[in-house]
Amino acid sequence: MGEPSQGELRHWHAVLLSRELKDAPRAVTVCGRELVVFRVGETVGALVDRCPHRGARLSDGKVHLDQLVCPYHGWKWKADGSGRSPGNPVARPCVERFDAVERDGAIYVKRDGSEVAFPAVDVSGYHHVHSFRVDVAAPLEVTLDNFTEVEHTGEIHAVLGYDTDRMDEVVSTVTSTDDAIRVHNIGPQKPMPWALRKLIRLPDDPRFIDDWTTRFSPVHVVYDQYWLDEAGERSPDHLRAVVFFNPKGPKVTELMVRLYSGQPPWGRYGVNALLWPVLGALGRYEAELDKRLIESLADKSPVLRGNQLGRFDKALIGARNRIAKIYRGYD
Amino acid sequence: MDTEVDAIVIGAGPAGLAVAGCLSHQGAQAIVLEAENEVGARWRSHYDRLHLHTARDLSALPHVAWPSGVPTYPSRQHVVDYLERCAENVPDIRLGHRVTRVSEVDDGFEVAATSGARELTLRAASVVVASGYNRVPHRPRFAGEEVFAGEVVHSRAYRNGRAYLGKRALVVGAGNSGAEIALDLFEHGAVPSLLIRSPIHVMPRDFLGVPSQYSSLRLAKLPTKVADRAALAVSQLVYGDLRPHQIRRPKEGAITQMETRGRIPLVDVGTIELIRQKKITVVPSGIARFTERGIVCDNGDSHSFDLVVLATGYRAELAAFIVDAPPLLDARGYPRTHGASCPERPGLYFVGFRNPSTGALHDIAREAKRVAKSVAKTIATSGRRGEGARGRA
Repeated sequence: MGEPSQGELRHWHAVLLSRELKDAPRAVTVCGRELVVFRVGETVGALVDRCPHRGARLSDGKVHLDQLVCPYHGWKWKADGSGRSPGNPVARPCVERFDAVERDGAIYVKRDGSEVAFPAVDVSGYHHVHSFRVDVAAPLEVTLDNFTEVEHTGEIHAVLGYDTDRMDEVVSTVTSTDDAIRVHNIGPQKPMPWALRKLIRLPDDPRFIDDWTTRFSPVHVVYDQYWLDEAGERSPDHLRAVVFFNPKGPKVTELMVRLYSGQPPWGRYGVNALLWPVLGALGRYEAELDKRLIESLADKSPVLRGNQLGRFDKALIGARNRIAKIYRGYD
Repeated sequence: MDTEVDAIVIGAGPAGLAVAGCLSHQGAQAIVLEAENEVGARWRSHYDRLHLHTARDLSALPHVAWPSGVPTYPSRQHVVDYLERCAENVPDIRLGHRVTRVSEVDDGFEVAATSGARELTLRAASVVVASGYNRVPHRPRFAGEEVFAGEVVHSRAYRNGRAYLGKRALVVGAGNSGAEIALDLFEHGAVPSLLIRSPIHVMPRDFLGVPSQYSSLRLAKLPTKVADRAALAVSQLVYGDLRPHQIRRPKEGAITQMETRGRIPLVDVGTIELIRQKKITVVPSGIARFTERGIVCDNGDSHSFDLVVLATGYRAELAAFIVDAPPLLDARGYPRTHGASCPERPGLYFVGFRNPSTGALHDIAREAKRVAKSVAKTIATSGRRGEGARGRA
């Protein structure tokens, strides 16, 4: 597994939530590169966060009209990478630029001019509950492993997961295509506090479905989570979660998590709206539990060889291959 | 002898299935004739990205609830699955039966259809035409198309942009499909442009997190002028002035346009956000002619493209199979009478030929109930109700 490099930046990476980018420029780190992201009117610009003049951080500067002004000598940079030096009006300096776009409440960047599909996620008709970013001090592969296997959910998770004592009842089905891996899990929901169970309208002894698809340009997973009663009927509440895995460097992976509900906030005469903060906090807490666990691992090497793998780990190997081939671009 | 039934429904899309569902609920004998080999054929063949623009709870057909787990805006596949569910309530659907002729006879109507090489004729006192708003693609021809080295497709044939990575694409027509196909092309890594020749009204699908359909239903009750103002205020608040992006607003209000000309505003699902960020370029002038590499516009500008998608809409083409149709149709070729028996031809009904801001499926559900009631009344008064389908089918 190689070091994250500019090669991976040919994919669109979700680096900031829209709400995090106001008038001031923001520094972001992705695939080992330091970038500055800023708003110019209705568009978003992204440049390398280093003034080519004398190396100042452009993210410490400010935006004036359609230009980002370097805090050191006031050189001005447009989103297209062209610059102006107030002291050398004839000079035509330029800085490395990146493509940037704002969609679905997030800002994505990629290498200038790379031809690649956008990681569009179908959240049409889903209602946004909460979004957040969190850093995990572990390599991309190791972080993804945790997010694409359910055996840990009984031990680690507070609510969303399977009962450890009945883990043998969980049926996990893996289907893969060249560019995606889908894992469908069904099994007994781990015990849940009574109040929460009532709030999300769960039947008695519900079976929890955790059905996700991982794609690799860039690495992201879309989860569908819902419950069935004994007769196999779906309970009305369901969640869709989208998680982007951005390697900041070889040892740190940033997660961007976006949570959606299939139920509208105005449903149940507005009771659903009261549920939103609970779901948001829960999502954050579960991610925090995962982060703590991953960071505490004795072996954070992304290499699986030498590990004794179980029946829930099939998808891990497929994901390794696709990360190498699709995401990192190795054959 | 010809087959004789209470009612014949032409088309097994949402409108046909809704009416037939209501009829069978009332115990009427109806035959549904569907030209394609599946119900909901149009919804099966629409582009992959499509979702209902209206909320599922306001888009249910009579007697069939949306299943649990379908989100607020059902996807194309959700709609197809739902229509299959609706079809379960309809006992007699004849797939692969293309209606060629609907004509008036002494005591009702005669409907001729072909099924493969077979021809058949049916008779009924009531005929419900539900052949669809989107029956036939409207495909304009342009000068020089034959020299164009790229690909030209109608939106009917467009599924997704997978094959167009890195390609420069022009989408002609800023209706709902055109705008969404441009968005889809961007998502598949193409470089899209959208040709918007005339001024258009743009409305967000959601306003403050709530489907605009809810507010449309309220607006529909207001005087047109007031509703126009309200719609304008929402559009202004969400999009501001779009003229810098070559999108002009018509002088006439959005609701007035809908009522007088059947022109619906563009329901935006994200295209405008990309236009503002210059990821989708607006071409503000019509196509004068094609060249080998692209097009020349009416304003003299020329642009290079690898792909042209004609999102130029559809026509109902009712005169193609209804004998002496013109008196029944308006200037655009759509029926004058909705949800009730045509005054010019009692017993003939049209359902599903409107696309109001309150939602086409919402409208269909209401109209279907009215039509079924009216058909049932005819059956009761005429007393013509026999043992149902008889004779040669």
